[in-house]
Amino acid sequence: MTSAVEGLKAESTEVQTAFRRLVLGLADTKRLLGIRYSDWLLGAPSIEGGIATSSMAQDEWGHARLLYAALKDFGDDPVELEHERDAADYASWDPLDHPLPDWAHLIAAVVIVDGALALALEGILEGGYEPLGGRIGKMLGEEEFHQALGKAWFQRLATGEGEGHAHLQQAVEAMLAPTVRCMAPGDDAHERLADRGLILPSSTLQHRLAGRLDPLLERVGAGVPTEARLDNDWDPRRGRGTGHPEEEAVERARGDRNRALFVE
Amino acid sequence: MAELTASRPLPVVKAPSSQEALPAHVRSHASGGRDLWTDPLPKRPDDPDAALLELLHEVLDPELPISLVDLGLIYGAHLEGDVAHIRLTFTATACPCMEFIREDIRDRLTREHWIDAVRIQEVWDPPWTRDMISERGRRRLRELGVGV
Repeated sequence: MTSAVEGLKAESTEVQTAFRRLVLGLADTKRLLGIRYSDWLLGAPSIEGGIATSSMAQDEWGHARLLYAALKDFGDDPVELEHERDAADYASWDPLDHPLPDWAHLIAAVVIVDGALALALEGILEGGYEPLGGRIGKMLGEEEFHQALGKAWFQRLATGEGEGHAHLQQAVEAMLAPTVRCMAPGDDAHERLADRGLILPSSTLQHRLAGRLDPLLERVGAGVPTEARLDNDWDPRRGRGTGHPEEEAVERARGDRNRALFVE
Repeated sequence: MAELTASRPLPVVKAPSSQEALPAHVRSHASGGRDLWTDPLPKRPDDPDAALLELLHEVLDPELPISLVDLGLIYGAHLEGDVAHIRLTFTATACPCMEFIREDIRDRLTREHWIDAVRIQEVWDPPWTRDMISERGRRRLRELGVGV
């Protein structure tokens, strides 16, 4: 099997750095998403919904682990990536920086954030990059269940009236643009990879996401934006906004309280 | 309590083997079906690759009482010298039984005099699906009331 380094050996340092940024961003986002899902394991509107978040959290952490492991080929130590970094170094997508305040926000995260993550992985798969492609098929298979659950709940909340609908609308408004910006920033690093055929261009990703989500989003008066606004709060090194996830979530992601019990 | 920061070196504790971790009154444990494992073969088999698969038929999934082979998790088994190379997948990317499965494979194979070491390559392509469960595995699961 071709290793990541061999697979990108012919590419420039800039392309390799951009690819590492992409993979680290996906890994960190999945790690944070798992934490956000796990927050609603108990206290969901139904026991079945809570159990589903438990299963999805498990999947996200499994995906994160595979993606961190893939970064070994870029010279990274996966243990260090998973257990040693400060919050300011996390490249997770902005909408997960804070806990999801209610079930409507969780459902918006499943449909928008998790859906966009899956699309980003598809983009890598279509780029034909072998070292990751072998893992992505399995991840996408598991993601199908997340989307089935997310879309069913989204429709349920969106077709209702009152508080549930309003909360969903707020959640979509808060998450949609920042998610699209992280998935398809259209900045130099992203387009460099697209130019080399390693991933899909930002415009294609946006178009595909709109095709999948707009019929749902229309129910709350929203739609996938066609252009990412980077403005001044864009951190090109991490491929996300200039903020970072709150400390408590990162402490959980790193396993700080159980460091003395860490088992290899 | 020691300060817990990201910069603190990560202490690594060597976990006891599952056998060491058992209470004294438990004489054996059945993880991986090990209480049913057969005795080691008297000599190196003529077809070691086929023999490896036969041996792995004795290793049960920790959650479902069918073998790893019947569950479709073994993508390949090959002996090079005295090292067994196993291509293994899992049902899920965050399967909670990964470590049990690895340990059970190693323990079963290294019981054989002709196997000195086991190298496990974890693979995800093609992704495991329920379609990969063998007919024998399906029959066994149906007997147990598990729908497949």
